[in-house]
Amino acid sequence: MIRVSHLTKRFGPQLAVDDLSFEVQPGVVTGFLGPNGAGKTTTMRLVLGLANPDKGTATINGSPYQRLRAPMREVGALLDAKSYHPGRKARDHLLALAQAGHIPSRRVGEVLDLVGLSDVAGRKAGTFSLGMAQRLGIAATLLGDPPILIFDEPVNGLDPEGIVWARTLMQSLARQGRTVFVSSHLMSEMALTATRVIVIGKGHLIADSTVDALVKGATSVVRLRTTMPEAVAPRLLAAGGSVQTTDDGALMVTGLEPSAIGDIAFYAQAPVHELSLLEASLEEAFMELTRDDVEYHARGDVSPGTGGPNGSQSPQASWPTGPATR
Amino acid sequence: MTPTTAMSQPMAPSRPGGVKPPRPIDTLRAEWTKLRSVRSTPITLAVIAVMVVGLSGLITLAVVSNHRHGTKVTTDPVGILQSAWFLGLLAFMVLGVLVMTSEYSSGLIGPTLLATPKRLRVLSAKAVVFAVTALVVGEVVSFVNFFVSHAIASGYALFPDPALGDHNVLRAVIGMGIDAALAGLMGLALGGLLRSTAWSITAGVAITFVLPLIFNFLPSSWSNPLLEYWPTQAGSQLEEVTRQSHALTAWWGTGDLALFVLLLLVGAGYLLVERDA
Repeated sequence: MIRVSHLTKRFGPQLAVDDLSFEVQPGVVTGFLGPNGAGKTTTMRLVLGLANPDKGTATINGSPYQRLRAPMREVGALLDAKSYHPGRKARDHLLALAQAGHIPSRRVGEVLDLVGLSDVAGRKAGTFSLGMAQRLGIAATLLGDPPILIFDEPVNGLDPEGIVWARTLMQSLARQGRTVFVSSHLMSEMALTATRVIVIGKGHLIADSTVDALVKGATSVVRLRTTMPEAVAPRLLAAGGSVQTTDDGALMVTGLEPSAIGDIAFYAQAPVHELSLLEASLEEAFMELTRDDVEYHARGDVSPGTGGPNGSQSPQASWPTGPATR
Repeated sequence: MTPTTAMSQPMAPSRPGGVKPPRPIDTLRAEWTKLRSVRSTPITLAVIAVMVVGLSGLITLAVVSNHRHGTKVTTDPVGILQSAWFLGLLAFMVLGVLVMTSEYSSGLIGPTLLATPKRLRVLSAKAVVFAVTALVVGEVVSFVNFFVSHAIASGYALFPDPALGDHNVLRAVIGMGIDAALAGLMGLALGGLLRSTAWSITAGVAITFVLPLIFNFLPSSWSNPLLEYWPTQAGSQLEEVTRQSHALTAWWGTGDLALFVLLLLVGAGYLLVERDA
């Protein structure tokens, strides 16, 4: 188990990791999400003892990484795929790491097989594509057959087949009871790979939950199309919903279940032409959560189409807005 | 490279029984693998050997042939036979720098420290493996250099003919190999301190060649003590057959250089532990 507690790391004036606390449990793939620059890599480097925190602690099975007796047999970590000497053969690269970890050299051939690099083991690693480099990096993490695995953006540079392969591998590692902690800025990838997610932005924790709960908790929008929006909208507001109109006259309702919206329309005696639940994707949930935390905003890129869970748009403010009402 | 072939290989079962923690010898083996598995290491060492032996031979030929009809050569005879040795020192220093800085430039320092979080153990293992390699290669090149140049010079009667059995000659020839290892260790320490190949080589060249040259232009009341204790100058006394004025004895001088290299290594170790990797 990985436990991070009040972890804080400052680079000059920049707070890279800000009082971050979370736990990563075995048995499932835990995604580590955040926009670029959110502090994901820094957090992982702190967990792995490559950087020293200013405050707080990061432990692996209760002890800091530097105190692990046989680190490679307890944790396998891949931070940067191209972390090898370009002039060294892939096999020799792994051999040196195996020797350093007191791991029998036959394990080198096994992990090369496992990642599908056996045929190119004698080639200089400098000739590898990014995808092959990722496989070599993953091979290194598996040398000690560790119960905890940490991957920083492991599918970067993999082709579609490689992405499926990496996803399958991570899930099977988790199914074997291992702790698998994977960072990504690609929500769609994490939606497919991870069961739990930890979301950070600007170095602090934004969410720590399951993928399912995160998607459910994200504001899902109900589209209501009726011939009498002006009759229904006030009742929706009164019921605690938040309403916006689209250009084509439909009402976008948040904060109410589709069944409740249907009932309200019925009591308003408004003919309903469409009542549909637009489920939020993890991507939208993420955008919503990290809206205030992305390091570099592209102006106007965030659509205000849905009200945030933190009530950034009150019902009064969002209604009436469209030209089709009144 | 298909998912099926990749996944058909079952993971090894979970660790049986106790975990065997890596020992210092494991770190040494890993560093030796790293050193020998990069082709640039043997190539660089071979180029060093050819350059040093070839150039020393040419210079020896030039010196002895110029003195054929003139006065006897009075300066240090071994110094003439191995006059290109400074190139060897330079090359070993650069190799030592690269042992450290290539870890940083390639990013390998990450996996290295993940495998061996005991950072001083990593630095010690690198230093030991490289020092032993440099010493062995340095001695071999030094002796080959001596015999080749000696064969060239021996045809000229006026040249004082140093034999290995002569006073201090064997010490000077062995001393060149020792100095090569110390130069390499100095480079390794500088690489650990500065992390940048260019800056480390610049610093090494400044310490070994440029600063002593500048000291020569100072008033002798300044330059004499400075040059006497300046580490690389003091260390080079081991290569001299006859003791020079204003110079430490061979072994005190070597101790001076060794102490300097050790201080640099301690500094590199301190920074390696304290700084983020």
